[in-house]
Amino acid sequence: MRKFFLALICFLLAVSALAGPVPAAQPLRVALVPIANPDRFIDGVKPAMRFLEKQIGRKIRYFITLNYSAAVEAMSAGRADISFLPPLPYVLARSQAGVEVILGEIYRGKNYYHSKIFVRRDSGIKNLSDLKDKTIAYVDPISSSGFMYPHDIFERAKLLKGGIQNPEGDFFRRVYFAGGDEQAIRSVLGKFVDAAGVSEFSINLLKQNERAALLPLASSARIPSHNVVARKGLDPKLKERFIAAMLKLNKPDNQKYLKYLYGTEGYIKVSHSAYQLVADMALKYGFIRK
Amino acid sequence: MRILGAPVNVAARRRVFVLGIALAAIFLALAVPRFGNGHIVPPEKLHPAAESYRRATFVLNLNPVRWSLIWLDMAQIAGAISSADKGAAKKFKNEIAQARLIAQPKAKGGEEPDMAAARKKGRRAVFSAATRGVAGLISMHIDRAVAGKDREHVKAHLEEGRKVFQAFAESLTYLDPAAWKKMQLAWLDSFSNLGTPGILGAGARLMNIKRIRAATSVISSYMGKNFARYTAGTGQRLAARPQASPTYVKTAKIPWRLPPGSNTNKQLPRPRQLLGMAERGANEGETGLIALGDMAFDSAEIFGEPARSLNVTCNTCHNKGVTNPNFFIPGLSYRKGGMDVSNNFFVPHANNGIFGHIDIPDMRGIRFTAPYGRNGRTASLREFIRNVIVLEFNGPEPDPMLLDGMAAYINEFEFLPNPKIKPSGMLNEKNNNDSARRGEKIFHRNFPQMMGGMSCASCHIPSNHFLDRKNHNIGTAKGFAPHALDGSFDTPTLLSAKYSAPYFNDGSQPTLQAVNEWFNKRFALGLSKKELNDLTAYVEAIAGGTEAYEETIYTLDSELEEFSFFLSTYEFLKRKKKKEIIIITLKTVATELEAHKWDVQDRRHMPVLDKLESLIREAALLFEMGNVSAADGKIAAYRKLYEKNTSALK
Repeated sequence: MRKFFLALICFLLAVSALAGPVPAAQPLRVALVPIANPDRFIDGVKPAMRFLEKQIGRKIRYFITLNYSAAVEAMSAGRADISFLPPLPYVLARSQAGVEVILGEIYRGKNYYHSKIFVRRDSGIKNLSDLKDKTIAYVDPISSSGFMYPHDIFERAKLLKGGIQNPEGDFFRRVYFAGGDEQAIRSVLGKFVDAAGVSEFSINLLKQNERAALLPLASSARIPSHNVVARKGLDPKLKERFIAAMLKLNKPDNQKYLKYLYGTEGYIKVSHSAYQLVADMALKYGFIRK
Repeated sequence: MRILGAPVNVAARRRVFVLGIALAAIFLALAVPRFGNGHIVPPEKLHPAAESYRRATFVLNLNPVRWSLIWLDMAQIAGAISSADKGAAKKFKNEIAQARLIAQPKAKGGEEPDMAAARKKGRRAVFSAATRGVAGLISMHIDRAVAGKDREHVKAHLEEGRKVFQAFAESLTYLDPAAWKKMQLAWLDSFSNLGTPGILGAGARLMNIKRIRAATSVISSYMGKNFARYTAGTGQRLAARPQASPTYVKTAKIPWRLPPGSNTNKQLPRPRQLLGMAERGANEGETGLIALGDMAFDSAEIFGEPARSLNVTCNTCHNKGVTNPNFFIPGLSYRKGGMDVSNNFFVPHANNGIFGHIDIPDMRGIRFTAPYGRNGRTASLREFIRNVIVLEFNGPEPDPMLLDGMAAYINEFEFLPNPKIKPSGMLNEKNNNDSARRGEKIFHRNFPQMMGGMSCASCHIPSNHFLDRKNHNIGTAKGFAPHALDGSFDTPTLLSAKYSAPYFNDGSQPTLQAVNEWFNKRFALGLSKKELNDLTAYVEAIAGGTEAYEETIYTLDSELEEFSFFLSTYEFLKRKKKKEIIIITLKTVATELEAHKWDVQDRRHMPVLDKLESLIREAALLFEMGNVSAADGKIAAYRKLYEKNTSALK
């Protein structure tokens, strides 16, 4: 019997030697969409990623993608585990790739924000119906605060109907997608368009002396904050460790890491129910089909 | 039980969850600095080519032109062109090299070239080449964009082109507003037709390259027609003038802007300002002349254009009476914390035609530091203030009462209290270490090498606020000729100087240690490293002071209090029939309110601040129209509203 065990141990040792070293755990892969200069962004998030690595006890490989579509594609193909998405891209990603929302961001003490319709104070435009046959600049065709929610303002006011396929409807002379919040709000400031439908925070992109020239005409329904999503099938234990690590960023000593991580103030744990209204709206206006 | 129990548990769990979120939100609201902006892309930085073009346009309009800055900016534009088209970059560099020969000609046959003519011709040549280069770069990016099929490729070149296009924002907005709007709409049209890949196809929209081509052709065509063969005209301020455009407004005036790289922001933390009368317990509401001077010190209304439009005030450079170490305007400043004050930008007619960077002086204890000006050319503070207003910042001749007020206010600036020295200026032994004590002896040591046996204390007399009120030529300035006698400067005080770096008339010495090292080398004093350190320890002791900076970064409440101080002059100015000064006061308070209201920590109070601002603006307008009783009503309403909200407005 002793000989048998000795032989077994020798066999196992030989097998393990032939197999080489035990492979280290796969790194957690995080896909990031930069909101400004990609080089500066990737340098800026480094300390936060190092902090998260220590917390979860696993290497993090983070990389930037051109846009949200590419980030979701990477998750769908199993090349990324985690990403940071705005609400509308999240509900689209959920419908197409089954991603799971795990954390919501906090801005100015809240986990929601609004879109606003801005016009020039000197334009004479006093209410939404005054924008009949005028022009508006949105941000991007799949932007939550820069398209779907401001569009919804006009749908709710019964000035538009029929969703996003014909965003002008019988109301606007022309709808533009400016390509960015700053470009959209500066278009109305510069009098190139009559209104802009953008995030409420966009006003901060203007210089102080420029802000007074604009008037917020209407505000949207609450938009749940941008969020952090996990790919379908991510190891639940790893996911929980990542969530716990992210929540540690809320502690005052760790706030320094947040500044470059999309400029948020912190995170809270969320589930899809917080985004159900976004999904309903996306369905209603034709971003997703049943 | 399970069926009955489940909803209770879910509801309870939901309540805990909601409570958790609420508590987390409250915690974050209270504990976290306010920077959350919800993924909003930060304000776009100028494209390097646009930044260089705008800065070069500003600098080329100066006299003299700081050519070294121009060549750096031209290299930056060349770099941007090179990243799009190496051949075009080579052509651009050749054109700039030719222009450089015109701008900075070499002496031929022993004859000095006519540098004034060279400058005029050279700046036009450089500006013309730069305009052609930047316009060409926009067209290059458009060509690349519309030649592509891949959306990301098209988008990347459109974005680059649109950023470079901002080079012309400061000129075409005014010179051709119709075309400017048309081209801005063309950019919007192009970006709108980029479509979107959606998310794995959901929400996708197809790109329409034909429409992008049609839209961008408006821009390419404009750039080609107006700037492809651009040559700047003579006798005009340099600006991209679209002479081929039918909508070009030849008579339009372009407002002056400070160039990219300028910094006129005040320093943080804020310097602590000590006003003698306030420190001695005077009621600030009863010191009318000082309040008037305080207002004028913060007012761009006392200056002329362009300082007025740019909101440049005394306080911009002498923030709280102290050197603003951040102040910098490319082309006018050689280094931070100073500027050439005889330039053709702020006062064209008073330009002396030479570039002479002057360090911004500290004004603490100014009533003890006459004469004034770096070369001590003016004995009277009042006269010096007048010269700054009229000759350095193009202001109208000031009302005598305004000058009295400014002199009264500035004369209240105190040195920082300093427990390290006695009133006699000698070191307070108890409060200093051995190094500073040894340094004091070196400070009083006579050096035969130094102008016939002088000591540091010979000029910086401790019992006389560390100055002698005399000029000395110690060799800090390069004369106009080898044996020129034009380099003497007024001895500056050392009191409170620790907080007003850099040093020397031109700000060439960054620290007090550097100043001591300069003297050691210049006069071959032979001080060892240890002795130099001791001397610096001493100078830092006498140049120091208590609480040099304010602790808080929130200043709205103190600013609002100051505006009330400004408005306390309203009644006595009316009695003295000083209509113009009243209008200056009201406009200044309105401008200051507009600038400072954004500092409010709780944005819910913004409507109150908006109302305060509008009341003051209305008062100014009514007073200007001669409706004094209506203006009185607005002032009274302002005071009442402020009083009611004083504690909330922070």
